[in-house]
Amino acid sequence: MKSTLILFFTLALFSVTAQTQFTLSGYVKDGGTGETLIGANVFNLANAEQGTASNAYGFSSLTLPKGSYKIVFSYLGFQEQAFEVAMDKDLKLNVDMTEGITIEEIVVSADKEERAKNVEGTQMGTVSLPVENIKKLPAIFGEVDLLKAIQLLPGVRSSGEGNAGFYVRGGGPDQNLVLLDEAVVYNSGHMLGFFSVFNADAIKNTTLIKGGMPANYGGRLSSVLDIQMKEGNQKEYSAEGGVGLISSRLTIQGPIVKDKTSFIVSGRRTYIGDLAQAALKGSTFEGTNYYFYDLNAKINHKFSDSDRLFFSAYFGRDVLKFRQPKRDFRFDLPYGNSTATLRWNHLFTNKLFFNLSAVYNDYQFQFGGGQDEFEFKLFSGVKDWNLKLDFDYFAGTKHNIKYGLNYTYHTLTPNTASATSGDVEFNTGFLPKYANEYALYFMDDIKVNNDLAINAGIRYSIFSQLGPYTSKLDSTQYGTFQPAITYTGIEPRVNFKYKTSDESSIKGGITFTNQYLHLVSNSSSTLPTDIWVPSTEIVKPQRGVQYALGFFKNFKNDTYETSVEVYYRDLKNQIDYADDYVNDITQEVEDGFVYGKGRAYGAEFFLKKSVGKLNGWIGYTLSRTERSFERIENGRWYPAVYDRTHDLSVVVNYQLSKKWEFGGIFIYGTGKLFTPINGFFFTEQNLNLFYGPRNSQRLDDYHRMDISFTYTPNPDSKKKWRGSWNFSVYNLYNRKNPFFINYDINTDFEKGTTSIEGTKITIFPFIPSITYNFKFN
Amino acid sequence: MKLHFYLFSILVSGMLLTSCEEPYTPPTTDADQQFVIEGYVEEGEGSLPTYVMVTRSIPYITTIGPDQLANIFVKDAKVTVYDGEKTVALTQLCLGDLPEELRAQAAAILGINADSTSLNICLYVDLLQQINKKQGGKYDLTVDIDGYVMTSTTTIPNFVPLFDAHFEEPPGEPSDTLAALWFKIKDPVGPNYYRYFTTDDEGDQLIAPFQSTTDDAFFDGKEFDFPLNQAERRGGGGDDNNNFDDFGLFTRGDSLTVKWMCLDKVHFDFWKTRDFAANSGGPFSSYTRIKTNINGGLGIWGGYSVQNYRLYCPPK
Repeated sequence: MKSTLILFFTLALFSVTAQTQFTLSGYVKDGGTGETLIGANVFNLANAEQGTASNAYGFSSLTLPKGSYKIVFSYLGFQEQAFEVAMDKDLKLNVDMTEGITIEEIVVSADKEERAKNVEGTQMGTVSLPVENIKKLPAIFGEVDLLKAIQLLPGVRSSGEGNAGFYVRGGGPDQNLVLLDEAVVYNSGHMLGFFSVFNADAIKNTTLIKGGMPANYGGRLSSVLDIQMKEGNQKEYSAEGGVGLISSRLTIQGPIVKDKTSFIVSGRRTYIGDLAQAALKGSTFEGTNYYFYDLNAKINHKFSDSDRLFFSAYFGRDVLKFRQPKRDFRFDLPYGNSTATLRWNHLFTNKLFFNLSAVYNDYQFQFGGGQDEFEFKLFSGVKDWNLKLDFDYFAGTKHNIKYGLNYTYHTLTPNTASATSGDVEFNTGFLPKYANEYALYFMDDIKVNNDLAINAGIRYSIFSQLGPYTSKLDSTQYGTFQPAITYTGIEPRVNFKYKTSDESSIKGGITFTNQYLHLVSNSSSTLPTDIWVPSTEIVKPQRGVQYALGFFKNFKNDTYETSVEVYYRDLKNQIDYADDYVNDITQEVEDGFVYGKGRAYGAEFFLKKSVGKLNGWIGYTLSRTERSFERIENGRWYPAVYDRTHDLSVVVNYQLSKKWEFGGIFIYGTGKLFTPINGFFFTEQNLNLFYGPRNSQRLDDYHRMDISFTYTPNPDSKKKWRGSWNFSVYNLYNRKNPFFINYDINTDFEKGTTSIEGTKITIFPFIPSITYNFKFN
Repeated sequence: MKLHFYLFSILVSGMLLTSCEEPYTPPTTDADQQFVIEGYVEEGEGSLPTYVMVTRSIPYITTIGPDQLANIFVKDAKVTVYDGEKTVALTQLCLGDLPEELRAQAAAILGINADSTSLNICLYVDLLQQINKKQGGKYDLTVDIDGYVMTSTTTIPNFVPLFDAHFEEPPGEPSDTLAALWFKIKDPVGPNYYRYFTTDDEGDQLIAPFQSTTDDAFFDGKEFDFPLNQAERRGGGGDDNNNFDDFGLFTRGDSLTVKWMCLDKVHFDFWKTRDFAANSGGPFSSYTRIKTNINGGLGIWGGYSVQNYRLYCPPK
C-alpha cells in the first residue's frame, strides 16, 4: 500500500517537471446543454498524429512543443471547431461544441479524424454507440433498448428472442461487466430480460469493449459495457418523453445554477398490467398485476475548473403480484437494482486528472407468498460498497498513462428461504457470503512512432472470502472480516497498432482476465432467480486469456470503415450445473456446480458507414464456443448453449427527407442448440424422458427484419414543444422463429396409447407499434 | 419451488397472447435402446412383496401404443437380491399368463393400474417373501439379461410416522364438499427423505400426488402440521384436472388411504430429479437428466419403510 502511494505521487510529480513543452487542457462540452462529450478528438490540424481524446468526464489535455498551432476539436454530429493557439505557456480551454455542419476549411481532416479511429486507435473490439443513433433503430413495442442495439454488433449475440441479455465472443452471461456511471449492474433485465433496465432518455453514451479490455476494467472475463448517464442540461430547463404502447417515460433536466449546477431526473413505467385489471376483475386471478419502472437521477456541481462533484442514482423494480382469492393463494415478487455513485473530479495539474468514486449498488430479489396460515419468503441479492481512485495522466503526445486503485466490499446473499406455518418457523439457515476485492492497475498508451502504437497495461487483483463463515471442507470458523481464502491474479494486457498505410492498420492484443463473482444459469437465458456467488474455498475464480488479431482498413477517404478480427479465447475454471441438477431452494447453488474449461474462437467482419444520408453497418461473425466438464458426459467437448456458427446483422439508417427517417435491421443466426430427447422409459407407469448428448441438435435458423419510420412534422420548429412519431414493425415478414419446443404428453387409457406432441412455439410475430416522443424547453 | 414455472406462466402468458404454435417433430436420433429397472423393497404395514420390472426404453416416436408396449418387458432375465445373509432369486410372473380372476388381483396387490392389465406385464417377484426386509437393511440387486449384468444397491431407512390426521376447511373460501388433509410429523434430527401416495380422486389407485417427494432440509428436527395433496388420476382422467380451485383437496364423504414412505438419499435423488424433469419445461428450463442408481441401466432400485393410513373424510 505504501509503495503504491509512492508510485502515485512519483507519477504526479512527473507532471510538474519543467520542460519546453506546454499543455492545452480543458473540457469538451455540448454547447447546447453543457453535457460533457466523451471521446471528442483534439488534435493539431497540421499533424493529426499530435492528438488526444477527451476522457470519460470530457476532459482532455494535449502537450506540444512551444509554437503556434491550429487545434481542432471534433465530435461526431457536432460542428468542428478550430482555434489558433500560441503554445508559449500552459493554457486552459473549455470548448462548447454545437450540433451541425462542419466549417468547410477543416471538414476533411476533422471528420476524417473521427472515422480514422477505426485505423488509428490501439483499441480493438471497442464500439461506442451514441444514444441518439440507438434511438433511430426499430424497437419492439417501440421500447428503445441499448442492450438490443449492442447485440447487432459482430461478436455479440442475443440470449434469446426479444431478450436484452447478451453473450460476447463465446463468454457466459455473467462474464460481461455492465456499468452504469461506474456502478455494477448485476441484473440488467426487466421482465425476464425482455427489456433492459437502461432508459435511453437518461443515457448519454454506451461503450462496449469486447476485445482487449484495458487494465482499468476488471472482474469479468468477456466484455465491458460502460454506460454513462447524462449530467443534466447546464443551460436551460427541458423536458422530453414518450408515450408508447406498453410504457411511458419522462425526463426533466436543467440548471440549478446556470453553468455550475445541473440535474436530470428520468422515469419510466409500464402500464399494460394496470390496463388488464378491469379484465381480471371477478376472475380467478383478480388482483394479479405486473409492472416495472426505472428512476434515474443525477446532479452535478462545478466548484471550479479543477473540481467537480457528481452524484447519480438509479432505482428500478419489477413487481409481480399474483392473487388467487378463492383459495387465498398469493405471492409478491419484487426485484431490481439500486445504485448510487458519488464522484469527485479533480485536476492536480493540467496534465493529471483525478477521479474519486464512491459507489454503492444493491440487487435484490424477493419472493413472498403464502396460502392461509402458511407464509413463505425468499430473498437473494448482491450488495457492493466500492471505492475507486483513477488517475489520468496526459504525459505528452506520446504517452497517455492511467493508473488507479479499486476496492470493493461484496455481500452476496444466497437464496435464504424462510417460512411460517402457524407458530412453527422454518428456514434454510444460509448466511450471506462476504468478500474483499482489490485491484491495482497501470497502463500506458504509447505512440512509438507515426506507425506503431502500443497500449500496455497490467492489473493486479486480490480477492478474499471473508467471515463470518464456517468452512464446508474442515468446519473452521472464521470471524467477521477474517479471510477464509485469498486468490490473486496478475492480468497483463497488451494491444498494438501498426499502420500499414494511411488508411489501414494491423492490430493485435493479448488480454488476461480474472473473474471472482459468478452467476450460473440453469435456463436458456438469465433470470432474476439466478444467483450470483463469490469465489470461495470451493468455487475457484474463472480465468481467461484472449488473443486477438485484426486488419482495419478505411476506404474512400474514410467514408467506409472495415475490419476483420480473429480471436481465440482460453477459459479456465468455467462453471455450470451438472445435467442432473435440480433447482432447489434448500440447497446452496454452488453445491450443484461442476467445474471445467472452455474455448472460443471466431472471425468477425465489420463494414460501417457513418456519414451521409445512408449510414449503418453490416457485421458478420463466424464462431465456435465449446465447454468441457469432467462431470458432464466425461469431459466431452460440446458446443456451449450460446454457440452460434453464423451471425449476421445489417443495420441501416436513411434520411428520406427532412421530416422522414427510415431505420431497418436484418438479423440472421444459426439455430439455437438444444439437447434432444433420445427416448422414453416408464416408472410407476409414467412416461419419463431421457436425453441424448448435451447441445447436440439445433432449432431452425433465426432470421428477422424490423423497420421503423420516424416522422418529425416540424423539423425546423423553434417552438418550445417539438414532437415526433415513431412507427416500428418488429418481424416484418412474420418469420416464425422458434422460441422453444414444448412437449406435451397425453395418455389415452381407453386406447392404451400415450402421445407425445412436440410443439414449436414462436412468441413475437409481426408486431407494429407506435410511439410519440416529445421535447419541451 | 417452481419459481421459473410461475414466472413463466404469469409473466409471459401476456406476451404469449401473440404467440403461435406449430407441430414440431425433432430429427430422429440413432439412440441406443437401454434397459430400465424399476424395483422396490418395502418394509412395514401395507408393504408390497419385493418386485422388479425390467423394461426396454422406447426411441422417440410421437405415439406409444400397444405395439410399442408389447415388447418393452424383458423376460427370462436372472434377477437376484442379496439381503445381507442370503441371495434370493426372484420369480418371473407375467400377468398375461395368469387366469383372468387372478390377474386383476395380482395387479391390485402390486399397485398396477388395472386398465393396463391388458398388457402382458412381466415382473420378477419374491413370491415366497424370502427376503429379510428390515429397517436398516441393505439390499443388492443383480439383473442378468443374457450375460448383460446390471447391479444396484439400496437400503431401507428407519420409519418416521405421521400422526394426528385431521381434515380442515380448505384455505380461502369455505366449501361444503372439499376438505384439506393435515398430518403432524416429528422429524428426527439429521437428513430424512419422505414420499407419499394417496388414493386418487376416483378412489381406486394409490399414486403420487404433485410434489410428493421431499427431504427435511427445510424442517430438520421440527414437529409441525402440514397438508397433504390428493393425487390426481394418471393421464388426466379427472375432468377437473389442473383446476386451481380444488387442487390437492379431498372430497368430503370419501374413504382414502395415505401411503407414507421413508427412503434413502440415492432413492430420493431419483424421484427428485424425476419429478423435476417431469414438471419443468417451457422456454427457460434446460433439460434434466434423471439420476439413477442402476449400474448399466436406467431407473430405480429403491427401498422404503412404509405405513398405510386409512382415513375417512367426514361430511360437513
